[in-house]
Amino acid sequence: MTNRLSRRRLLGATAATAAAGLLPLPAFHGSARAQAGTLRLGVPTAVTGTWAPLGAQVVRTSRLFAKTVNAEGGIDGRKVEFLIEDTQGVPANCLRKAQEMVEREKVNILLGLMASSEALAVMPKLAEWNALFISSINGAGSMTAEAYVPNMFRANTSGPMGARAIALWLEDQPATEFFSLSLDYAWGHSSVEVFEKLITGMGKKAIGKVFAPVGTKDYSTYIARVRQANPQALYVALTGDDGTAFLRQAAQYRLGEKVQIVTELVDLLNVKPVGESAVGLVGSSRYTFAYDTPANVDFVKRFTAEYGEVPDTFDGEHWQSLQLLAAAIRKAGSTDTKALIQALEGMELTSVKGPIKVRACDHQAEQQGFVVRVEKRDGYPHPIPVVIKTYPAARVTPECRKASY
Amino acid sequence: MSRLPWLAGIAALAAAPIALAGFHLGLLTEVLILGLFAMSLDLQLGYARMVSFGHAGPYGVGAFAAALLMAKAGWPLPCALAGAVAITAVVAVPVGWLCCRAGGVAFAMLTLAFAQLAYAVAYKWQSLTGGSDGLAGVPRVAGPFGLELFTGRVGYYALTVALVGSALLAARAFVASPMGRALVAVRENEARAEALGFDPRRLRLAAFVLSNALAGLAGALYAGHVLFVSPELLLWTVSGHVLVMVILGGTGTLFGPFLGAAAFLMLEHEVSALTESWALILGFIFIVTVIVMPEGMWGLGARLLRGARRPPAVEPRHAAP
Amino acid sequence: MDQTALFVVQGLNALALSALLLFIALGLTLVFGIMRIVNFAHGAVYMLGAYVGATAGQATGSFWLAIPAAAVAAALLGWLFERLAFRPLYGREGTAFLLVTFGLALCLTEAIRLTWGADARRLEPPEFLGGVVFVLDEPFPSYRLFLIAAGIVAAGGLWLVLHRTRLGLLIRAVSQNPAMAGALGVDVRLLRGAVFAIGCGLAGAGGVLAVPLITAYVGMGASVVIDAFVVVMIGGMGSFVGTVAGSALVAATQTFGNFYLPEMALGITYALMIVVLLLRPGGLFGEEE
Repeated sequence: MTNRLSRRRLLGATAATAAAGLLPLPAFHGSARAQAGTLRLGVPTAVTGTWAPLGAQVVRTSRLFAKTVNAEGGIDGRKVEFLIEDTQGVPANCLRKAQEMVEREKVNILLGLMASSEALAVMPKLAEWNALFISSINGAGSMTAEAYVPNMFRANTSGPMGARAIALWLEDQPATEFFSLSLDYAWGHSSVEVFEKLITGMGKKAIGKVFAPVGTKDYSTYIARVRQANPQALYVALTGDDGTAFLRQAAQYRLGEKVQIVTELVDLLNVKPVGESAVGLVGSSRYTFAYDTPANVDFVKRFTAEYGEVPDTFDGEHWQSLQLLAAAIRKAGSTDTKALIQALEGMELTSVKGPIKVRACDHQAEQQGFVVRVEKRDGYPHPIPVVIKTYPAARVTPECRKASY
Repeated sequence: MSRLPWLAGIAALAAAPIALAGFHLGLLTEVLILGLFAMSLDLQLGYARMVSFGHAGPYGVGAFAAALLMAKAGWPLPCALAGAVAITAVVAVPVGWLCCRAGGVAFAMLTLAFAQLAYAVAYKWQSLTGGSDGLAGVPRVAGPFGLELFTGRVGYYALTVALVGSALLAARAFVASPMGRALVAVRENEARAEALGFDPRRLRLAAFVLSNALAGLAGALYAGHVLFVSPELLLWTVSGHVLVMVILGGTGTLFGPFLGAAAFLMLEHEVSALTESWALILGFIFIVTVIVMPEGMWGLGARLLRGARRPPAVEPRHAAP
Repeated sequence: MDQTALFVVQGLNALALSALLLFIALGLTLVFGIMRIVNFAHGAVYMLGAYVGATAGQATGSFWLAIPAAAVAAALLGWLFERLAFRPLYGREGTAFLLVTFGLALCLTEAIRLTWGADARRLEPPEFLGGVVFVLDEPFPSYRLFLIAAGIVAAGGLWLVLHRTRLGLLIRAVSQNPAMAGALGVDVRLLRGAVFAIGCGLAGAGGVLAVPLITAYVGMGASVVIDAFVVVMIGGMGSFVGTVAGSALVAATQTFGNFYLPEMALGITYALMIVVLLLRPGGLFGEEE
């Protein structure tokens, strides 16, 4: 397509006129302006729709990364530019956007995909596109198991790893009877499966489970079910707005007074709107800003200076994936897909979440597991997650190409 | 209508693989598939005033059927497409029989309910459908006798053009047939049509099944195009989008929905590349379109082509259902 | 928890849910009854109410000011939209309204995201509604009891308006026979604007009432409108009594269904609607078109 550039520019001009400059333009810069040697990274993510709050984290952390490395002269002397486009969290859109980035914009590195179904839709195409995808969010265990492809790496903690960390913590706790409440979604199912298996292996009892559809607004009937089962502890695998709604309603029913609630994912996204009643909640954490290492303190400082708030779970996870990519590019001395795959396999790095090692066999980054408790601390307008236990990578990462333990 | 636009259209579609780069050919394939999907809804909506709000149902069933026939049963692509259409049509008979008992909004809500039930089944039947993750990496199985012709990108485009074109001709033939005319008669005045000896319910059922079978074909082609299916294909939002495409393009025209689908997809795709607030622009365009183009894009285009002297092709219709 | 307590608590849960559904469904059915249009933007208006209410509540520190603020903002938007976008369309087919309300839903949702950002907003009920009351020794949130009361007040208030005021008389007249009412000198255009505004206002109030349970967030309007459609269809399009009955039936089905048959949660409401519509295509209290 020879007239591609002019068409883009034309469209840009039309839209700009139409919008009269009222609308915020994303961190996208038309290819016409791309300098030679600029490294362009594709981020097809959910800016609008149900996943928008998580997409917002991916967008802002990408921008911060570009700003930070470009101020330092780029990666290996190459400036970084992000191509961020909205998929609404719909796999069909994600496929189309990703394909356009690869085939039309000549991008070969994709990051920030949101829903697991989006990632799983894109993964089989990567070889044909000769593109690399580094996951920073997707938790589905299958991505590094039966759906494994050589062109995908997972920099983030997977769902099963989160379930493993909280199960390990519960081993030393007095509660012996557990009930599970989870999102009716692949991630929720695999988390509950892993959790129940680990708990029963410790000689504790899983006395029931229930799956609530994604988008459930009224949790009262599920809370009644938990009360009727009367477990000593409740394991919760809910995310996003579903998690917020449940935690708020559970507090209103005083569920925490009768049952210890532990959760697979503690996010500020949930903690902030739940407020004071989140205090005391214990759960697994993929990333927390309160983790005290030099790399993380530096990141939190930069982030807070830029955005006026502390980074949340997927800010940290996305940052880690970008650090990993930058290190791989430096090591390979190239951005070629094959060279990057080779560089990433077996790579070790100290990131915001501590030491990580990308294993070659299934491309999962081995990393520590965190258990946090939500506490009230001075200097923060909302309760914050504080790390109460850290497990070494060897204890939380599943065997190669396994989604279970 | 003169032959010139037809020939121009065919020539443009034939030239597309040469003129367009890889990605755009894929996009054109998707536009054609969505156009077929929208056109299939127009058969019900435009000619029988059956406002289906569950057209994602047959689309998703067709997509899952084709994907499963290729991925699990190993059927070659053309056989899987044919099988998917057959399955969708068979499912449509009892569903249509039940839905056509009601009219108006009740019909719309019944179709919605069946599509949502299909969504629930696809979501929960994880061992077969992959559940919320869907089925990825569906193979485009080449058959014997050199049928791998269709497995490449250009080949698949050619197959899509051929099938969508055939479907369009079939739909036109149906509309022009005595049955199609009877359907319009029922739409205009049910009591009179009944007095003339037509059976409105049977006619509606026929339109429903044909419409669903073509939607099934569209779904199957989509599955073969992206090689991925997930329960989202069956969700009510998809039904809403296809309804918007038909209305945008112009109901009761068969061609209009292709325009509507192209406009919808291209607008969403291109505007969302320019601003994250694409929804604001898109929504505004829809509102303005309804107000300034009462007959949809096709109606406006047809009127401009013919000049204002001759009457429009679309019969004006009054009174909301 | 013993069986009696469970049953009573679940009954109250169902009533509270039906109160929330009622706010959305009453607006939908009112608009359908008088304008014969299916309003796709109703969920987005509900969301607008939630955000405006949360902001107003935060700014004034008063939950009681948040409710009217949300209702008025939503009603104003409805009134404006009826004037600007619906007026040119009367006399056109119902599908035109479908597209125009779909456009409005897109615009409104994005405008809200632009204004308030992607993060959820919270609003706490006043202190005395923030606690629990004990129902057969089970803690039950006072706020849910308040929701039940609010539902009763809204339904009762609307019933009084419809049956005891001149406005209500006109609404019922136009709803039954718009041509006749117009011929008798009723200003149908003005009435449509008023009805659409009232419908949106109810949705806005419903939105802010939901915030203490679920917070205000970008996706909250998407699925709620479908639930409300189902309520309205089951009860009978345009029927006030039907909508009240429909919301109770849907709420009970979801509350008890998700308890005993959680695996069916995705489909149970639709199964209920199919059964009702096949037996009575006009809904429980409506007439077939």
